[in-house]
Amino acid sequence: MTSVSTRSAPARFGRGLFGFLLPALVIYALFVILPIGEAFRLSLFRWPSAVSEPVFCGLRNFAALMGDAVFWSALGHNVLLLVLSLAVQLPIALMLAVFLSYPVRGRRLFRTVFFAPMVMPTVAIAVLWSYVYLPEQGLLDQVIRLFDRGFSGGAWLGGPNTAMLCVFATICWRYVGFHMVLFMAGLAGIPEELYEAARMDGASEWGAFKAITLPLLKPTIRVSATLSIIGSLKYFDLVYMMAAGAPEKSRELMATYVYRLGFEGGQGRFGYGSAAAVMLFLVALAAGAAVTFMGRRTND
Amino acid sequence: MTADFPSSDLTGRTRRRGGARFFRRAVREAILILCLVAAGYPILWMGVSAIRLDRDIRSRPFGAPVHPTANNLRAVFASGRFGRGYLNSLVVSGVSVAVSIAAAALAGYAFARGNFRGKELLFLLFLAGMMIPVHVTLIPLNRLMSAGPVRLKDTYFALIGPYVGFALPIGVLILRGAFEAVPRDLEDAARIDGCSHWGIFFHVGLPLVRPALATVIIFNFLTMWNEFAFALTLISRPALRTLPLALWQFKGERDVNLGQMCAALCVAVVPALVVYALAQRHIIRGLTAGAIKQ
Repeated sequence: MTSVSTRSAPARFGRGLFGFLLPALVIYALFVILPIGEAFRLSLFRWPSAVSEPVFCGLRNFAALMGDAVFWSALGHNVLLLVLSLAVQLPIALMLAVFLSYPVRGRRLFRTVFFAPMVMPTVAIAVLWSYVYLPEQGLLDQVIRLFDRGFSGGAWLGGPNTAMLCVFATICWRYVGFHMVLFMAGLAGIPEELYEAARMDGASEWGAFKAITLPLLKPTIRVSATLSIIGSLKYFDLVYMMAAGAPEKSRELMATYVYRLGFEGGQGRFGYGSAAAVMLFLVALAAGAAVTFMGRRTND
Repeated sequence: MTADFPSSDLTGRTRRRGGARFFRRAVREAILILCLVAAGYPILWMGVSAIRLDRDIRSRPFGAPVHPTANNLRAVFASGRFGRGYLNSLVVSGVSVAVSIAAAALAGYAFARGNFRGKELLFLLFLAGMMIPVHVTLIPLNRLMSAGPVRLKDTYFALIGPYVGFALPIGVLILRGAFEAVPRDLEDAARIDGCSHWGIFFHVGLPLVRPALATVIIFNFLTMWNEFAFALTLISRPALRTLPLALWQFKGERDVNLGQMCAALCVAVVPALVVYALAQRHIIRGLTAGAIKQ
């Protein structure tokens, strides 16, 4: 026994660790993998009515989905939220982080308040912001009326063109502080001497930002972008609760459409809803693989 | 202030640059304060409106609480939803966090130190879970739990199961990293002293990864505490409604009364905000470190 080499002793010892994996594996298999598999199975059936037995229908649900304008609008809204997150939310977060990297009085207060919405339940945020967007008496209309007395009030969350943008503003409100904290951590890692050197060379602040901050912050920006990409497919709560009053084609994300197909309207469209869920799964997997692959390539 | 106003014996050029610097600083701070108002005012408004009457809020939404009233809060407590909601959320989130951290720590250790076939593949399987929106499983989980051999629907376990399942990937990832950072010498020494796997894990590994444990616990607890979609689809018995669900149902009934709704919002949110204010550093780190690892 004592003649076993030191190299293989830990190796052999490590084999016994498989048992440590079992609790996690069992729970994960039961509550994550099994339901995903079941979604694939259910997507091949249709329910003639909510109470009747399912009938096998092959890929017909998917064929119908391809011609479903609401489904495409939902996918489009996911993409819209993603683009807006990258193009609006991240720059605002970066701007705030940079501004707070200067000596500012009450820096802690700024950070505390900007981050606070992250600990609020999404339901509370949705309810609160539905009063911001309330037609006529909502805060937004009232603020606009301070400047334009004759303003008759916007449709906001009920309007076909405004619903998703209004929800996006709320999404920004919730997540900007989060990304700002990520950027602040990234900025703290940039040596101050670089900026001093740039200042001596006569670089402007904007020049230093472009030449030093942006390149050195690239890893952080990549993390933020990755989270935004993966997160954009997980949006559900705020959109479902806030945009419910908008026309069908203006209010759905993939996730909310899956939910409404399965649980609202009493039609029991479990098969069709599952087909939409399978599409959501595949899109998420593709997006995940894409960011992983891109991350790996830029890391080399 | 002197830094912003160069003394007059400097050249005109530097004076202009000094002025420009002052101007830039003013713009920066104006933008910051504007954003502070945009971020903080809705929360402040919620608190103020909670003690105002509905008609006052509607006629003068930005008004001060000149006639503060406790009627809204009384109506919220009289509805009896929120005590129960707190209790249910506490039970579900507490149990889920406890189970998930135990399972994730064991699995993280196995992935860090184990040596068995399929290790990489299994790890990838857990990692993939972080990219999957939970909404993929809403319909199938609902059917499995209402028709399967064990009817989990409308029990605490209906939420605990998926909460733990979807909390595992991030936990496993973070804790694997933490266990890998534990010096192997320590574990080797313990093994030579005759420690079992369990002994090494429990007495050597676990105490050294406490910061990572805290991160995972905070991240997952907040996610579960705020969770909405599973609660909405897997719980229909009023007695089992979690806090977010209680708030949502309350809105369904009292939506027309802004004062009562704001009081309900405060009841649901203020305790979380107080905890956040007290343990801010830990919570911010828990949420961001938890996310960065994804």
